[in-house]
Amino acid sequence: MKAYRNHRGKRGHTAQQPSRRDFFSRVGDGLHGAALASLLGRDLLMPKSAAAAVGERRVYDLGVRPPHFEPKAKSVIQFFMNGGPSQVDLFDPKPALAKYEGQPPGRDLANDIEFINEAGGFMPSPYSFAKQGQAGIEISEILPHLAGQVDDIAFIRSTFTTHFNHEPAIFIMQGGRQFSSRPSIGSWIVYALGSENQNLPAYVVLDDPKGLPVNHIQNWQAGWLPPVYQGTRVRSEGSPLLNLQPDEEYPPPVLDLARSLLARMDRRHRELRVGHSELEARIMNYELAARMQLAATDALDVMQESKQTRDMYGLNDERTASYGKRCLMARRLVERGVRLVQIYIEGQIWDNHENLDKSLRYACGKTDQPIAALIRDLKRTGLFDQTLLVWGGEFGRLPLAQSREAGVAGRDHGPTGFTVWLAGAGVKGGTVHGATDEIGYKAVENRVSVHDLHATILHQIGLNHRDLVYTHDGRNERLTDEFPARVVTEILS
Amino acid sequence: MDSLLLQKTSSGAMPMGGEKLASAEVDLIRRWIEGGALLEGEISGATGDSTLGQVDPRDILVTVVNVKCLLCHGRRRQEGGLDLRTREAALRGGASGPAIVPGDPDASLLIRRIAAEEMPPEADQARLSYRPVTSQELDKLREWISAGAQWDEDPPVVVDPDTDPLVSQADREFWAFRPPRRQSPPKVNAENRVRQPTDRFLLAKLEESNLAFSDDADRVTLVRRAYFDVTGLPPSVAEIDAFVADDSEDSYERLVDRLLESPAYGEHWGKRWLDAAGYADSEGQVDYDAVRPHAWRYRDWVIRALNSDKPYDEFLVEQIAGDELFNYRQEPLPLKPELGDKLVATGFMRMGPDGTYSVSQGFVAERLTVVADQLQILTSTVMGLTVACARCHDHKYDPIPQRDYYRLSAILRTAYDPYDWLSPSEADIGPDADWNETNTRLLPGAPAKAVDEVARHNAPIEAEIADLANKLRELPENVRRKLLEVPVPQDALVDTRKVLSDGLAPEPRGEDAAQDSSEPSEEARALLDALVKARLNLRTKPKVRAIFDMGGEPTPVHVLYRGEHRNPGPRVDPGVPSVLSEDVEPYDLQPLEWSSGRRLALARWLVQPSHPLTARVIVNRIWQHYFGRGIVESEGNFGRTGTPPTHPALLDWLAVEFVEKGWSLKALHRMILTSTAYRQSSRIEEPAQSADPENVFLSRFPTRRLGADAIRDSVLKVAQRLDPNPFGPPDEIEVKPDGEVVGKDTDAGQRRSIYVQQRRSRPITILESFDAPQLKPNCLRRSKSTVASQALQMMNSEILRANSRYMAGRVIDAVGEAPQAQVERVYLTALARRPTVEELAEGTNALGEMAKAWERRLDERVPMEPKKSKARWLALATLCHTVLNSAEFIYID
Repeated sequence: MKAYRNHRGKRGHTAQQPSRRDFFSRVGDGLHGAALASLLGRDLLMPKSAAAAVGERRVYDLGVRPPHFEPKAKSVIQFFMNGGPSQVDLFDPKPALAKYEGQPPGRDLANDIEFINEAGGFMPSPYSFAKQGQAGIEISEILPHLAGQVDDIAFIRSTFTTHFNHEPAIFIMQGGRQFSSRPSIGSWIVYALGSENQNLPAYVVLDDPKGLPVNHIQNWQAGWLPPVYQGTRVRSEGSPLLNLQPDEEYPPPVLDLARSLLARMDRRHRELRVGHSELEARIMNYELAARMQLAATDALDVMQESKQTRDMYGLNDERTASYGKRCLMARRLVERGVRLVQIYIEGQIWDNHENLDKSLRYACGKTDQPIAALIRDLKRTGLFDQTLLVWGGEFGRLPLAQSREAGVAGRDHGPTGFTVWLAGAGVKGGTVHGATDEIGYKAVENRVSVHDLHATILHQIGLNHRDLVYTHDGRNERLTDEFPARVVTEILS
Repeated sequence: MDSLLLQKTSSGAMPMGGEKLASAEVDLIRRWIEGGALLEGEISGATGDSTLGQVDPRDILVTVVNVKCLLCHGRRRQEGGLDLRTREAALRGGASGPAIVPGDPDASLLIRRIAAEEMPPEADQARLSYRPVTSQELDKLREWISAGAQWDEDPPVVVDPDTDPLVSQADREFWAFRPPRRQSPPKVNAENRVRQPTDRFLLAKLEESNLAFSDDADRVTLVRRAYFDVTGLPPSVAEIDAFVADDSEDSYERLVDRLLESPAYGEHWGKRWLDAAGYADSEGQVDYDAVRPHAWRYRDWVIRALNSDKPYDEFLVEQIAGDELFNYRQEPLPLKPELGDKLVATGFMRMGPDGTYSVSQGFVAERLTVVADQLQILTSTVMGLTVACARCHDHKYDPIPQRDYYRLSAILRTAYDPYDWLSPSEADIGPDADWNETNTRLLPGAPAKAVDEVARHNAPIEAEIADLANKLRELPENVRRKLLEVPVPQDALVDTRKVLSDGLAPEPRGEDAAQDSSEPSEEARALLDALVKARLNLRTKPKVRAIFDMGGEPTPVHVLYRGEHRNPGPRVDPGVPSVLSEDVEPYDLQPLEWSSGRRLALARWLVQPSHPLTARVIVNRIWQHYFGRGIVESEGNFGRTGTPPTHPALLDWLAVEFVEKGWSLKALHRMILTSTAYRQSSRIEEPAQSADPENVFLSRFPTRRLGADAIRDSVLKVAQRLDPNPFGPPDEIEVKPDGEVVGKDTDAGQRRSIYVQQRRSRPITILESFDAPQLKPNCLRRSKSTVASQALQMMNSEILRANSRYMAGRVIDAVGEAPQAQVERVYLTALARRPTVEELAEGTNALGEMAKAWERRLDERVPMEPKKSKARWLALATLCHTVLNSAEFIYID
């Protein structure tokens, strides 16, 4: 545990100060490597003195750190299906609903209904389900592409959460508690492991150009972890990073002159202030920023892919182009060592309160082909076995109709039992884990909490959720806090 | 007297060698003993009122009755004449008869109405955030009534420091829980380096390690340092020149006095207090992130209080209990300014994130978190204690039992009652709310001038609205129903709904529902549009975001095991941590005529001169802002898990001196600013570099990066784009198409960051990249990260580029076209020093080269302006931009 929080214990070192190049070769040629090298060099050789009196100084950067144990996954791609996709219409067929059609919910269900005044009776799914793949797993007819990949996927049909409204439930899914103060799982992961590529952000967020998800930028916040661990928004249209390019670039000779003048000023400033390694880090940051302009632009340029690949992701179809582009970007990013990519989707397209059929088909139409394509593409490029894919929203939906009018009904939020799926690194494909009750309302068999899910994701990337600790305000904080959490080993190979 | 078993287990003396029992376990033992200490299988032969083995009345009352009944049958309202707060009242019942017939659930109206799904009423459950009684709860209610419907008669836990089983004498001996003692400043060898008594303490430590203070910093360095530290802004060229030219003996002391008298002092240091208070202009938590339209009055109060050097004890008392200092309910409106200010000050107690205005997030669990955040703000900021752990369990390391956490929270219960909650949304209050309006977080205590001004603006609009509302009300019901479906901007939603649904019968459902697919007529739409437009034109009536007692007896406070409201433990009374009782005056509750006095008693307890924490915590935090590290490094945690003070005697001396000098913050600032420790050079030299590498002993002044606000404000100031207007509603923000969040321009540029709207969901990008904190709920020390996005922001953002062009314009205005004079001016303006010979040559050379390159660019796209002079201006702008990107601009030595 200490090993990765404290660099001193991590790398063998000699009494001699390691050369700058030594460090570069180990941690990549990036800024953080350099900053780390200078900080480390100083910390390692610092005579034990006053520093010991005030506790150990920690280094917070994105240098690579060892996991707790041999990981299955190097990277994670999360399809954050904000809004709450309806399990009984997509992954969890419930023929019994036909039997209860139209019956009102009792007083017990009412405690889990957000828009209580609009609650209608039970409503069967309008879709048919057919067995797919060798595993014969039933999938809704509105996910035809994913149907071809079920043998790669482990479906958890028994996930549950504890709040029925978006904001708190999303906070739970991101940070483990229903309030906005905590770091997101992505921040925890890069805090623990750093990044393989120092020229790109470690934790990339691909949000929808049509708008931010509920909770906005708080979805990828570092909370009380150092800000360096928060997610970086990368745009899939226009300049990928904020201020990556100025509105109007200076003429190249002006830029060169300005950069060399700045370098000289900062070098002189730094030389007069020995012992301030953050000044060194700052200088390297300017170099990184310059390199990032190239690296990020290159990484996100999907036009470098063949037409065949682009078409596979649906970039040639208006419906799928936007989400498909982000899926393809995700592959290009994990290929380059980015630790975590989260793909968000416009507003609330899974939040199907009304017109279930129309709105759910829209959401599936946008995402089904791109996601299936990403799975196939990752398999083609050999990245599938080292990339963990996670698909799910903050909750599912109720088996009831919302609205008492026929024809326009949708479904209200359902936190007590919904489906999340995992695929890729170390996940046993073609698996169904857990079950909801007869009507798809509540997880009853092999229930999986959000904390279990977090523990499982961390486990696949080589981290023990009990040992991933950050001390904040005198308290040892964890992603899973003090909640009971177990790795869902049943879906792992 | 408690049994020995209880004493030993609760103090942790038993079990031996093992972990202390959890308070839940201790409580279980206590209840077992009180129930007769029966062995398994034994049946109580006593009076039969033991509730062991049956439904626990406390459980029923706290988790069902409080949550699902009291809103309408409690303190504020007794619908149908029924009050369910006491057993007598419940047995007496209301207009329909007794609610409860002990022993006979089927005859009890309470059960009958719930079973028939008549209670709690379905109609209001969405709006008021409650849900039906579940079948399990109903079963428990039946069982409870069968068993006699006993009320929770356990008395509140009595806490007597002398016999407290949970906090030992040894716990109370911890240094931070004992009052600070007057220390005499030690003798030192380097008497000539002593300017203030504080220097002696530091020197004594340094001399132990054969170290000394560094030499004094040169005047040019010192003037820039002092300007930033006191005002958060760089000195102007004239101010630097004046100071450097002043060779009188006390020129520096006079500079310090001038700076402390500058209004910018209150803005800069006010921001730090506002961070600690968790100040924001929006509620957060909910996606909509509702704006707090009145919060800024508190922000202005803080700035004014600091500028007028309001003594810190008064500063605290007014913020915690300003409403308990005078009987505001009897004062005529509008209030006298000095009285209104006391209400404004209590905004401090309303700063935590609060999403409970959302009906989906207005349940008891979320309300309790609002209270917890507020408590966290209060305890970390004022007491330097982390009590948050004790919300769920006894603190593992500090002697703060869970019981004491809930006693503290009971102090807030009269204002924040989770079972009788006031929504933070203004929409819920009537326009004419007065002192008797209990359904609001706001008080009508704003200054007369502001009230009049808004009233004048609103009068004609209100008349128009009344007229439109009348016309809308006359429309047929089906048209009004249609209009209710028309999307309306959030700010107008509640009011338009109110008009349209006024007197509307419940919508017909199912087969009776008429199939009406028609659209509302154009005239009807036009009426609605006009109403919305008028509503949006209304200015918010000036009110005060304040804390105040809601009156009457609040619901009792119970320990909540694991922090869960469904898991209540013993009842507690308001109180303060038992560990703070050695040589400390006790919490002395004196009920007031108009208020419970709970918060005033807390405030008075906190500001007693010998309080172990209050003075130490604030002097430490101010010290931290100057030297980068507090004497106690863990500024929000003075407990056992915190870091011990590096200079305990200095901390105590400062704390005692601070109180004796009348809690004057300015006097404290003056002492620090004029000390040798502060005036040292920041140069690192041997032997200090080896012996004090982290500068724990302050062998030099620490080189520090500026905070986010100072960076943004400085860019504006050097470009002469800083709008100096203080106070008032915050300036709006703007989200640019690429996602960058910036402040909107005023006529004079932009105002200081403290005056720009602080919307939790939309932080200003430049502030965010330089570590402006997410206030969740508050921040005592900002982190200082060094990341690439800062470089991108400084190099490429339009803010930096545009302000560089402004700066170049002003430089040319001041010194003309001579390149040497320009370079000199740029250095002076941005870095508060003249360039060296080398820098001057380098700068003029770069200017020439850049002008040529710009001219070539202008040849490609010929501008309207003269080419050569535009090229020279652009070159100078590029030079300014480069200097603003330099490390020196954002670091102080």
